[in-house]
Amino acid sequence: MRLLETGNHLVALAANAAAVEVVPAYPITPQTQIIEKIADLIAEGKMDAEYIPVESEHSACAALVSASLTGVRAFSATSSHGLAYMHEMLHYAAGIRVPAVMANVNRALGPGWNIWCDHQDSISQRDTGWLQVYVASHQETVDTVIQAFRITEDHSVLLPLMLNLDAFVLSHTYMDADIPSREEVARFLPPYKPLWKLDPRKPVTHGSVVYPVDFSETRQSMQLGQESARAIIEKAADEFRDMFGRYHGAMVEGYMLDDAEFLIVAMGSLAAESRVAVDALRKEGKAAGLLRVRFFRPFPIDEIRKCCAGREGLLVIDRDYSYGMEGALFTEVKAALYGHGSEPVRNLIVGIGGRDVTYELIAENVRKAWDGALDEITWGDAHVTDAHEVTRELLCEFEELLDQ
Amino acid sequence: MFEIRVHGLGGQGAVTLCTWVAQAGYSVDKHVQAFPFFGAERRGAPVKAFVRIDDKPIDLRSQVYHPDLLVVMSPDLTGLALSEGITPEGRLLVNAGSELAERFAERFSRDVYYIDATGIALDLGLEFDGMPMVNLPLLGTLANQSGAAPLESVLEIIHSIASKRKNSEAYDTAVKAGWNGVQIAGDGGGTGQVPPDGDFNTSRTGVTPIEP
Repeated sequence: MRLLETGNHLVALAANAAAVEVVPAYPITPQTQIIEKIADLIAEGKMDAEYIPVESEHSACAALVSASLTGVRAFSATSSHGLAYMHEMLHYAAGIRVPAVMANVNRALGPGWNIWCDHQDSISQRDTGWLQVYVASHQETVDTVIQAFRITEDHSVLLPLMLNLDAFVLSHTYMDADIPSREEVARFLPPYKPLWKLDPRKPVTHGSVVYPVDFSETRQSMQLGQESARAIIEKAADEFRDMFGRYHGAMVEGYMLDDAEFLIVAMGSLAAESRVAVDALRKEGKAAGLLRVRFFRPFPIDEIRKCCAGREGLLVIDRDYSYGMEGALFTEVKAALYGHGSEPVRNLIVGIGGRDVTYELIAENVRKAWDGALDEITWGDAHVTDAHEVTRELLCEFEELLDQ
Repeated sequence: MFEIRVHGLGGQGAVTLCTWVAQAGYSVDKHVQAFPFFGAERRGAPVKAFVRIDDKPIDLRSQVYHPDLLVVMSPDLTGLALSEGITPEGRLLVNAGSELAERFAERFSRDVYYIDATGIALDLGLEFDGMPMVNLPLLGTLANQSGAAPLESVLEIIHSIASKRKNSEAYDTAVKAGWNGVQIAGDGGGTGQVPPDGDFNTSRTGVTPIEP
C-alpha cells in the first residue's frame, strides 16, 4: 500500500508488517511518534503485539532482551539520551546473543540541549556489538525494518540490530513510500524460530558468570556473528529486491561509481543530499561519485577497499566527532584502506545538532578537496569565535561580575 | 522539481498547509516531500515550512533556499521571507489585499502575487480557536500555482477532512476562492531584485516593519 507519511509512522507500520510481537518502549523526542503509532495500532486492534510501557530506556532495553529470550519477535525505538541511558543494556543484549531490532532516531546529545539531528548518539554505541545500519530515505526505512529481522534472527548472526534514521530530516518529514502487507512480508520474513528459549517449565540460567577460561570465546563468537552478518545482509537485500523490486544497497550503496575520479563517502540523509551534489559536479564536467556506507557495523571493509582504490581522492562526511581525534567514519575508512591505497582522504564535519547541510556546501568542499585545498579535518559549517570558548578565565570573570 | 517555502506565524497552519499541498501532489502520483523547521512551537512565533514536488524520487534533504514559490501568510514577514532567498524566476505570493500588495511591489521592485486569504476565511466564518483559517484558501492557491494537482483532487482531500463538519461547504468555497482568486501587483515587468539583507530592518523575531 502506498502512503504519504512521516518517517516515524512508517517505522511503526513496517514493524507491524514485520509481525512484531512485543514492543517495550519509553518516549523521547524525536522518536516518540514511532511508539505512539504502535500503541495506537495495538489499541485499534490493527497490531497483534504486547506493548510494555516502561519507566526508563534502561528498562526498555532490558525488557527487549527478556522478550526476545522467550522466543518472540521484539522491537523498540529510542533516540539520543535514551540510547545513551541504555548503554549498559546494549552490551547485555549483544553479549547474550538475542535478535532484536531497535530504531534509533539520530539526535544530538546535550548539553547544550538540542533535539536535532547528528550521529553522535549511535556512533557512541559503536563497540556494544550491535549491528548498525543508516538509512537515507523513507522507502529505505520501511524496507530496512523488514530486512533487519531477517538479518538479526539468522542463526549465524543472533546479534541485535540498530536501525538509524536522521531526526526530523527523515523522522518528521512527510514523503511517499510503499508499505507491503503482512502477507507479502511473511513470504520474505518467516516467523522467528529461536534455537532455544526461556521457558519456566524448563528452567535454565543464561548469561551468568563466565570465567576467564571461556570468556574470550564468548566475545570472539560475537565477532564471528558480525562477520557472518555480511553475507546475510547481502542475501536479505538481494531476496528483498527479487520479491519487492526495490534495492537500496546492501553493506554499501554506490552512486555514479563506475567512472568516478573522486568519491564522497557518507551515511544517512547526508548521503541522499550528496547524490544531488554529485549531479551538480557532473554538470561541471567533474566525475564525482558517492559511496554510501549503509552498514556501519559490520563495517564494509572489502567494499571500501574495492570501491575506493584508484580514485584521485575521497571526502568522508561525518555528522559526529570523536573528541581528541576526528570524525568516526573518517577513522574507519582510513583503517579499511590501510595498506590498500594511497588516495588522499579528507574529512568534512557538518550537520552537527541539526545544522542544515545543502548539496551546494558538499559540492564546494568536494571541489576544494579535489584541488588539495581542504584541511585534513574541516568543520565545514562551524566557526568557533572567542564567544564560543568557555574558558576558566571567562568563568572567573563571570564570577567576579556576580560578586559586584 | 517544484519547491515551495512558506513563512507564517505559529497558529496560522503553515505546517498543515504544506502537508495538504504534498497530499495533493501525492494524490496524482507525484513524489512529494513536506516538512517544517522544528523550532519554538509557539503561537505567534515565525514558522517556516517546505514542500517539494517532483516526477521522480526526491534526494534533497536540506531546507528550501531558492523556492519557485515563496509564500507569506502574514504580510509582516515579507521582508524576512525574501531575505532568505528565492529563485530569480520565483513567484512571491502574499496573503494581502491589493493596497498592501501594490506597496510591496514598489518596495521590493518585483511583481507580487496576492490573495486576501484572511478576508476569504473571515467572510466564510472559517475560524479555528479565534484565528482565521487562512491555510484553506491558500491550499487552493498553492496547488494551482505549483501545478501539484487538479482542483478536483484538492477538493477530495478537503472533503476527507471536513465532510463531517457542519460548515464543510465553506471549506470547499474557500479552497475554490483560493484556486481562482490570485491577482498580481506590479508592472508585470519581471520579478525584480532581492535587496541585500541589511535593507530589511529585520528584527530578531523576524517581523519586518512596513514603511509607509
